[in-house]
Amino acid sequence: MLMQLTLGGLSQGMIYALIALSLTVVYRSTTVVNFGHGDFVMAGAFLSYVLVVLAGVAFLPAAALAMIAMFVLGVMFNRGLIRPIRGGPHIGLALMCIAAGYLLRGIARMVWGREVLPMPPVFDMAPIFVGDLVITGDAVFIIGTVLVLLLLFFGLMALTDLGKMVQAVYQSPRGARLIGLNVDRFNDFSWGVGAALGALGGILVAPVSLLHPDLGASFLIKGFAAMTLGGFGSLGGAVLGGVLLGIAEQYAGAYLDTALIEITAYVVIVAVLFIRPQGLFGRKAVVKV
Amino acid sequence: MSTLLTVEGLSVRFSGLTALDDVSFTLEDGNVRAVIGPNGAGKSTLFNAISGYVTPTAGTVHLRGQELTRLTPHEIAEQGIRRTFQNGGLFPALTVLENVLTGLHAQTHGSFLDILLGRSKALKSEADNIHRARELLKLMSMDHMADTRAGDLSGGQQRIVEIVRTVASDPPVLLLDEPAVGLSPVARAQMMEIIHRLAGEKGVGILLIEHAVELVMAAADRILVMAAGARIAEGTPEEIREDRAVLEAYLGHS
Amino acid sequence: MSQIMPSARQRKTRTLLFWAVPAVLLLLPLTTNPYTQFIANGMLVSVLVTLGFTLTIGNLGQLAFANTAFFGIGAYSSAILAAKLGVPWLLTIPLAGAFGALGGFLASAAALRGIRTYYLAIITLAFGELMRWAYLHAKPLTGGTDGMPMPRETLLGISLTDDTLKFYIFLAVTVLLVKATLNLMRSHFGRAVMAVRENEIATASLAIPTARVILVTFMWSGFVVGCAGALFARHVGHVFPESFGMLHLIASFAMVLVGGLGSVLGAVLGAVLLTALPEYLRAFPGMEELFFGLIVAGVLVAMPMGLASLLRRVSPIFVERFYREAP
Repeated sequence: MLMQLTLGGLSQGMIYALIALSLTVVYRSTTVVNFGHGDFVMAGAFLSYVLVVLAGVAFLPAAALAMIAMFVLGVMFNRGLIRPIRGGPHIGLALMCIAAGYLLRGIARMVWGREVLPMPPVFDMAPIFVGDLVITGDAVFIIGTVLVLLLLFFGLMALTDLGKMVQAVYQSPRGARLIGLNVDRFNDFSWGVGAALGALGGILVAPVSLLHPDLGASFLIKGFAAMTLGGFGSLGGAVLGGVLLGIAEQYAGAYLDTALIEITAYVVIVAVLFIRPQGLFGRKAVVKV
Repeated sequence: MSTLLTVEGLSVRFSGLTALDDVSFTLEDGNVRAVIGPNGAGKSTLFNAISGYVTPTAGTVHLRGQELTRLTPHEIAEQGIRRTFQNGGLFPALTVLENVLTGLHAQTHGSFLDILLGRSKALKSEADNIHRARELLKLMSMDHMADTRAGDLSGGQQRIVEIVRTVASDPPVLLLDEPAVGLSPVARAQMMEIIHRLAGEKGVGILLIEHAVELVMAAADRILVMAAGARIAEGTPEEIREDRAVLEAYLGHS
Repeated sequence: MSQIMPSARQRKTRTLLFWAVPAVLLLLPLTTNPYTQFIANGMLVSVLVTLGFTLTIGNLGQLAFANTAFFGIGAYSSAILAAKLGVPWLLTIPLAGAFGALGGFLASAAALRGIRTYYLAIITLAFGELMRWAYLHAKPLTGGTDGMPMPRETLLGISLTDDTLKFYIFLAVTVLLVKATLNLMRSHFGRAVMAVRENEIATASLAIPTARVILVTFMWSGFVVGCAGALFARHVGHVFPESFGMLHLIASFAMVLVGGLGSVLGAVLGAVLLTALPEYLRAFPGMEELFFGLIVAGVLVAMPMGLASLLRRVSPIFVERFYREAP
């Protein structure tokens, strides 16, 4: 029972980890928190649905196409809407992100209407039985994909200059510019990567859940909870926070009350910010007042 | 002449680092006491500890015999120690007059309900303050700028408005953190004139952080020299000029 | 740009204008059909919601998204008090305001713990969603997904389902709260609120109790929006959890931004302009989201100071801050 819950939580938590990581990528390199990120996740799911079900493309190429499209969308969003108001107050930036999310949601609802759509299963694999433990194809696929991706991501960060560039831009955009880094293009790139990674979260949940235009809202909160738990701004913390949140949800649902699954994330946010605002790995989040 | 401010053994430690080390001095009414020292000497920490922005780890601060040591910044300000900020503490989006009026906040009467209902008690008090704020601005020849956004003023004008705002409530003690930094020579002279007038005519006790040595020598009655968080010398400008320890630690080359 | 303050004569004109608007509105029910009347009532509710919101994000400058929570708390407490305890609805308005103020107290507790900017936004979002979860799961009290119908009630022999009667009550409540908020924001307290936004550290050095300023602003914001919740409960006659979700939040953002952050007049304008249009869009799926998304993005890029700043340029009558000097 415990193992089964942990596996379920791990598979869910991997998605949260991916979303929190993509939020953190954008935050670390542009200091903007994307309050519309949930809808980027939804858009990923939506695009893969359209490509698979309506256009008849196979799942894997459809996923790749959707991620490329979301990368481009992320870059366009940064260039067209974020850059013009960069110098302004953070309230404006937060609202702009929410507005972008609503545009995506509006487009999705225009096409989808008010329906809730199931996507045909993609990972049609007979479940594996290990003792009492049932390992589904979905779980294998989700955990596997995210693990490979995380290895790739953190490997690139460690082995190339990317990690240093992120750090440089985060600490001082002006300094980064002085040493010859094209900060504008770097920001574009980060928005693209953030949007594509978030979209992948949506693509992975698409086959295992019901799709509707509002599915992003809850993922946004889960992403925030994972970030807060791991430590706001910490890349590794975002991943660990996501995994822990996924597992915590399953435990809370099984041992306390199923209704608690939905609010575990909110409780985590409130509790962490009040008790240990720096999370597990982050820097201090509160200011002295 | 009576003692306004008494600082005794004031120390501040941040996780092992001693930012302020056992500093003591007094400030009398009508006196200007300058605090000088190289960067990192603990001057700003001293100001922050007196005005409540940093909690001292040891020592006390008294104003006219009343202890203020662990009060919050707004409580200390209410007791009569007001300060300016090195980087300028004006509210850029508020007008000059509004900025000065914020200095009179504690002088305003009327309960929350009076304000909500627009009762005359609250309005009268506000009108009195506006009258006073305008007079103060006139005194500094700034009355024609009253309705200008503070953010649109020149650097020198901003410093003057900040001082007007800080003295609006007639505080007995004033802490000025580098009031002349970045000012033109003309504006600097004007600032010194203002400091002289506040001390001489109103009897305000002024504690002044300033880097420009010639300015300090001209303006201060007594000088406190700090280095590495501690007091290394104290005396009149003449005494400090002659002090070997100061020459070595602070002026260095000369 | 210098700020030009209105002259004494212009201030009199403004006072006249302020009271002329509700005076003219008193005649509105004589000239409209029931549908327009319903929309007009909705506008009055929106005015209060936007007003409360602009205080915290505009005047106080805090990235707090708890507005939707205050609104839901107000609506549900009005519905529960009226339906379960038989409190006359009129009386539930100030009580709903009080519960809203309690919500404001909780939100300010986060801000006063030093949780600011994005963290405050996230924790207040969580607050709103937690409240929505509570409406869904506290079934015996809130009716869960089925929501809560408002009880039948009459006032002066007229049923409280009558939109004309509602209009007069809504108008009175709105005018009172707008006037009180204007008084507050034009007082030394309102100045302190803006001072906290501009430079919190310097504000404390002027003997202004910043913590209390933040607390009171959040609580007043909660009170105004809580009262709006009570009006809303009567306006739609049935309170559902979905009314207090994210769409409500973005609609409020759009209203605040179109009018101009931190402007009472802007809150009124934004709410009036943006309440009617979505009613017509509701028939087309997705249009509401697209509409509000485009408005917010467009205003942020093209008109960051909102309509109120345009009006201010036309005449100093529309400058909201002024000094009440002795005559």
